[in-house]
Amino acid sequence: MALRVPCPNCGWRPSTEFAWGGELRPVEAPDVESDFARVFLPENAAGEQAERWFHLLGCRRWILVQRDTTTNRVR
Amino acid sequence: MGGRLRLGRRRVPLDDGDTIASAMYRAGIRTFSRSLKYHRRRGLYCGTGECPNCLVTVDGVPGVRSCVTPARDGMRVRREGGWPSVERDVLSVLDRLHALLPVGFYYKTFIRPRWMWAMADRIIRRSVGLGRLPVGPVVAGTSRHLHCDVLVVGGGESGRAAAVSAAARGERTVLCDEGEVPDPPEGVEVLARHAAIGTYEGPMVSLASGEGLVEVHPERVMIATGATELHPVFPGNDLPGVMLGRAAAGLVRRGVKPGVRAVVVVEHDEGFEHLEALRSAGVRIAAVVVPGSLGSAVPDGLRTLVGADVLRAEGRERVRFAVLRDAEGVTRGIGCDVFVLSTGRSPRDDLLRMSAQGEPVEAVGDAAAAASPKEMSTAGYVCLCEDVSVADLERAWDEGYRSSELLKRYTTATMGPCQGAMCGRHLAAFAAARGAAANAARRTTARPLARPTPLEILAAPVHEVIDKRTSLHDLHVAAGARVGWSGPWLRPFAYGDDPQEEYRAVRERVSVMDVGTLGKFLLTGPDAKDLVDDAFPTRVDDLAPGRARYLLALDEAGYVFDDGLLCSLGAEGWYVTSTSGGADRMEGWLRDRADRCGFRAHVVDLTAERGATLVAGPLARELLVGLTDDPIDREAFPHMGVREVTVAGVPCGAIRAGFVGEVAFELHHPRSRGPDLWRAIVEAGAPLGLAPHGLDALEVLRLEKGHPYVGQDTLPDDTPAKLGLEWAVHAGKRFAGSHALERLAGSSPERRLVGLEFDRGGAELRGVPLRVGARIVGRVTSAARSPILDRSIGLGWIRREPEGLFPEELRADRVGVRVVPTPFYDPAGDRLRG
Repeated sequence: MALRVPCPNCGWRPSTEFAWGGELRPVEAPDVESDFARVFLPENAAGEQAERWFHLLGCRRWILVQRDTTTNRVR
Repeated sequence: MGGRLRLGRRRVPLDDGDTIASAMYRAGIRTFSRSLKYHRRRGLYCGTGECPNCLVTVDGVPGVRSCVTPARDGMRVRREGGWPSVERDVLSVLDRLHALLPVGFYYKTFIRPRWMWAMADRIIRRSVGLGRLPVGPVVAGTSRHLHCDVLVVGGGESGRAAAVSAAARGERTVLCDEGEVPDPPEGVEVLARHAAIGTYEGPMVSLASGEGLVEVHPERVMIATGATELHPVFPGNDLPGVMLGRAAAGLVRRGVKPGVRAVVVVEHDEGFEHLEALRSAGVRIAAVVVPGSLGSAVPDGLRTLVGADVLRAEGRERVRFAVLRDAEGVTRGIGCDVFVLSTGRSPRDDLLRMSAQGEPVEAVGDAAAAASPKEMSTAGYVCLCEDVSVADLERAWDEGYRSSELLKRYTTATMGPCQGAMCGRHLAAFAAARGAAANAARRTTARPLARPTPLEILAAPVHEVIDKRTSLHDLHVAAGARVGWSGPWLRPFAYGDDPQEEYRAVRERVSVMDVGTLGKFLLTGPDAKDLVDDAFPTRVDDLAPGRARYLLALDEAGYVFDDGLLCSLGAEGWYVTSTSGGADRMEGWLRDRADRCGFRAHVVDLTAERGATLVAGPLARELLVGLTDDPIDREAFPHMGVREVTVAGVPCGAIRAGFVGEVAFELHHPRSRGPDLWRAIVEAGAPLGLAPHGLDALEVLRLEKGHPYVGQDTLPDDTPAKLGLEWAVHAGKRFAGSHALERLAGSSPERRLVGLEFDRGGAELRGVPLRVGARIVGRVTSAARSPILDRSIGLGWIRREPEGLFPEELRADRVGVRVVPTPFYDPAGDRLRG
């Protein structure tokens, strides 16, 4: 709700300014089967994970965020 | 101040400092409402805005807490829950029918025959309730955000002290209270009449006020909401005249004598203050009941019963006797008209309990204190809001609902207006006393809302809605356009009363449309071509400068999320357009691919900076020839060509493409020059019969061409094959999502978007299920009556039949439907290329 996200360009901003881009995954996979796992089977970690966020209502850049999915603590 | 309340036909005089409840009480009113289920009389009880007993409707607004709401002259007050009136309520017969209406009765009764429930539902709804909601559209309130270091909720003693010391440390401090905050402390921003309704992650605290919603984003929150007085449970504990000490003292403070003869139960220090208040008001104290530890604290001259137990309160319309068993075991009934209970404190900590673990939210003062322990009696009302008695809890327990959360769900205790403020701890204690494990005897989860909140507040937008307008907006309005929302944009839907006129202008003459809302992106840099090649399934390598191509945008799962045009500008780079609603997603997608794949490319968003105007129709070229010196004939500027063209002195990037299926020029120009260009086109087009068209006409025009709208006609997991758009994917090419499509290559989709022809009807068919016999096999996503074809056409998706084929003969409600190929109009595209 009021989660705040550290944007390297804009500082700490409310998460509502961002679009969530999901967990950070490799940009491509060598073959069709491993690509399926890459796209459709996210780690969905209970704990810290690297995520991409798009600062839609700010600098309009993608940023990398470390978020703990159990506590929502962000850094 | 004087003045009067209007209570039905009665006029209730007001004194200075009166709340609605104190004025009513002074006028002799003892029954403030009827209880939810059994229609029992309920009187003033907590006096601090916690319990549901004194909720009234004021000037048409239900659920007003009369005990804490200041009275104003001319208020129209209505008591709720009784029929025909609260004083004479025929439904009070329900109070004798407990056996027929046990807890959870609506889960078990009226089930067969099925029509019974519909009837019972109506009756139940009419007989219960806290008043009538005003009917009509809700006008959304406003909202604002407030950032500070410390938010203190509650302006009592502890809250003030916390706020003052935070401010003294130089922290920006905000103090809010649902009531008034007299004598606001220095250096603290005070928000009086702002009720905290929820604590959220962040932390963030939402405040509801008459001025709207305030979302506070503090670094730390201090909950100083104090404590309520404990709600004792014994038979007759809900009779009018039985009240908590604070209610009695509150009446005295406002110059109202709570009764003539009082029995007072004092089990903590605060109770002696209330006792003193009653004496000072001239109330005769029939007896004071205290535990052994406090026996010596009772003032001399009062009849004191040390160590006596409260057995019950008796009376019909109001309390007449307090029945006690004294220390020697003798039962006595003591006559009284007010039975005052001051038996301990129950911290108001719901806002604290709503916050997630580890959040900087703490309670201070009474809100942080331990609750007074209290044994529960074997009878009486636990939950005043929902009329749940100890017997109801026992029955639920016996039926197997053996934890506080299950008891809550089955009996609805804690679910009423007080949200468990009175009964929450009792429910947990009840489960604990019957041997429930610790995790089954916890207090039930606290969730927003902590206070009754008007719908206007809930409807308040949390963010400022930015209405995007093109530079032509004022011209559209001046032309009488009906303007409405289309995604984030305000766009013209129609210019006159006759959308067919706009439609005919496109098909027969020439028309103009504002398409400045399209997403517009310029891609430059050494790797721009590689970025385009990677980001889209479209064939790029053979796209010559000055040419455009239909662009499908797929995500990494191979799902279509947008479409548009790709234009090669040669050395200047690549120009990409997207749908109006998809521009943000398209930009995010392009930047994501550019970043993660390491392309040296710039993504320049021109959506706001550039306007776009579509000139379309068989006479479009004839119109533009008069406005430009640049060659625009068929050979120099063919279909899907891209040229620099100066139109009416405005430099435009022109694309010969159109959604509508006629000769069309999409003119992309500096936003600021939009009005000049539009005026020149409209003027030059007048002799040709030009009429601008809006979204209503466009809907029919694009449907005739069978073009799906991504988002309206598509689903989030539609692949190109499901949409019949395989031709827009360049086979054998590597791009984001190519692996995913490769995986699906061998199988054919289970669902397809197809063209539909209806026996009759139009736009109203949109959303209607498609059936074969009684089975639903799909849904209509778009429908319109085509004037030029004189047919009803549409798009929709259908599922493959179990035998493996797609159905071809369907029904949409009573309308026959056939699956037909698209486009419906000009399938060969001769008019488009003309």
